[in-house]
Amino acid sequence: MSDRLLADWRQHALTLESEVNKVVVGQSNPIRLITIAIFARGHVLLEGDVGVGKTTLLRAFTRGIGGGYQRIEGTIDLMPNDLVYHTYLGEDGKPHVSAGPLLMSGENLSVFFFNEINRARPQVHSLLLRVMAERTLSAFNKEHVFPHMIVFADRNQVEKEETFEIPSAARDRFMMEIPIVVPNDDDIMQGLMFDTKFHNVDALVDTLKPDVLQFDQLNSFSSVIQNSVEASPTLQKYALNLWKATRHPLEYGVKVSNVDMNRLVLAGASPRGMSMMLRAARVNAWLNERTAVTPEDIHAVFHETVAHRLVFSPVYEMRRTEIAREMLTSIMNVVAAP
Amino acid sequence: MKKIVHPLRLLMNASLISIMIVMHAHALETDFLPDVKKGIVRMEVKEPTRDVGYTVGDVLTREITLTIKKPYVLVEESLPIVGYERRYKGQLIGIDLSDLKHSKEVDSDSATHRITLSYQVFTNNVVAKPAALPGEYLRLLDTSSKDKSVYRYRIPSWNFAISPISVFGQVKVEADMSGYRGPLLLNPEPLQQRLNVFLVVLGFSLLALLYMLGKHAWLPRMGGPFARAYKTIRHAPNTTEGVQSAVSSLHEALNTTAGYSLFSNNMEAFLAKKPAFRNIQAELNQFFSLSRKVFFESNTAQPIDPEQLVWLGKLCKQCRDCERGLIPDSIATSKAA
Repeated sequence: MSDRLLADWRQHALTLESEVNKVVVGQSNPIRLITIAIFARGHVLLEGDVGVGKTTLLRAFTRGIGGGYQRIEGTIDLMPNDLVYHTYLGEDGKPHVSAGPLLMSGENLSVFFFNEINRARPQVHSLLLRVMAERTLSAFNKEHVFPHMIVFADRNQVEKEETFEIPSAARDRFMMEIPIVVPNDDDIMQGLMFDTKFHNVDALVDTLKPDVLQFDQLNSFSSVIQNSVEASPTLQKYALNLWKATRHPLEYGVKVSNVDMNRLVLAGASPRGMSMMLRAARVNAWLNERTAVTPEDIHAVFHETVAHRLVFSPVYEMRRTEIAREMLTSIMNVVAAP
Repeated sequence: MKKIVHPLRLLMNASLISIMIVMHAHALETDFLPDVKKGIVRMEVKEPTRDVGYTVGDVLTREITLTIKKPYVLVEESLPIVGYERRYKGQLIGIDLSDLKHSKEVDSDSATHRITLSYQVFTNNVVAKPAALPGEYLRLLDTSSKDKSVYRYRIPSWNFAISPISVFGQVKVEADMSGYRGPLLLNPEPLQQRLNVFLVVLGFSLLALLYMLGKHAWLPRMGGPFARAYKTIRHAPNTTEGVQSAVSSLHEALNTTAGYSLFSNNMEAFLAKKPAFRNIQAELNQFFSLSRKVFFESNTAQPIDPEQLVWLGKLCKQCRDCERGLIPDSIATSKAA
């Protein structure tokens, strides 16, 4: 029964991937990673330059997952209550209060899409931090629950004016931070320029088959995956060594060019982060029709699940993306399995 | 019609006729002279060392020592003339005196003449033919007699054989047992050279064989990670733990060779860095598959086949060959995984 269930859902997952790949071209690896995050029930932060298709990608997934979808744009004057409610004068001339984006879909909220999250103030980040971690919100003297919600957020690293760096506590809530870059393939680049189907994003997303997944069954099925895919003692030891290497890179001989390794790491990966990494690795194993996690499954998600959790000395923060990538690659190179 | 003769030609003819007359007179004179009495002249002759095997151009030397008692003296003009062509019955004999050396020592009662006569052979034949160094007549003058009597003394001829330059017709060398030829020896030099070359090749081949089979670090690029892993695998017990230990050893060797932890997903970078291992890419993929089953899918995998240890040993040997710059043979890999 379980095997059949796993196989059926795998087919759904691959269909979703295939549908999104039709809409967003040249991003097969980010699409695979977002699929993993959906089945691992983790929030996703996309990072990339302006106009590379981050929003389109997330909208495409949202359509495929089904359920309630809400979206908000991060701005410098956005306040936490803007996510919860908004007030207006009705036709009757009286003030009215209606549910904000977070509450509007109720328990059916499956995707909350936060566009340009780094433009929002820390107060908003703080609210989001709780919603992401606990999937609950107290408002109007009531506890609202969003059991199926996944937060998709994006930010661009280029603009620094009127932006707020997301605190490490909020970053840690995201299962993955996925970089989105312009595809290298000339044909794809040419298609993105000249193919008219990319001119209208709404129409493009509408071509995607809706509700490929049943959003309200994802939580229970995610548990099935986590319980079905095993992690052997050798793999557990390997993952432990990886974790320890993020905390004490010097002890493992990890090197990063032009960086004083004694001063680099203030905090390595968190226990929550490593747990999320293993969840994602299990999903990757399942998608690859394996019943056990292998080091390759961990490698497939290692950068995206760990890099944004590392806390570096402020002097190295400006080069965070580059240093984190080099450091994690070096960790994978020095830690052996078995 | 009157014929006119050139005066110079007349002069040459006259000279030739006079020379022939003088020579004839000399021969006649020697022929009719009496032989010197015995005991007056004592002669010792040192002949050439061998009397066969001479051919055209060879020089034969006779060393003659004459001791002539006084009052007899040697008429030195009677010594043979260098370059004079000898004839026998009107035919040139083809043996000419090419050099003559003469020295003389005078004692109170005798005089000793040392005469060295060198003859050169100017004749040849298709088969061996007999020849002789001609006898020479010398004249002696008795100084005590009133009429200055002249006598003759003969140096005897010496027989030898002239050999042809090349062998005429078929010759059976084994039948020719001439003592002068000596034993027939084969020239061993080319064979020795070939032997030396083969010995060198054999030495290098043995060295190469030892290099391929050797387990110790006594040559460059020996004693590498795979050589060490091979020792571990050979001594691993044929159990599940033994297979795990063997796989670990091979992983360790691969990591050391690559310079980083090698997995199936970064194999391509490894092969680009170490192209020698591209020959066994399929085997390496199979190894990673086996490793996955041994270490990560232990509860779902088939029981570990002890023959996998043998396969791991062969794979490690192949890797060792790659490590040493050799091209490994492909192995049957059906038993593994």
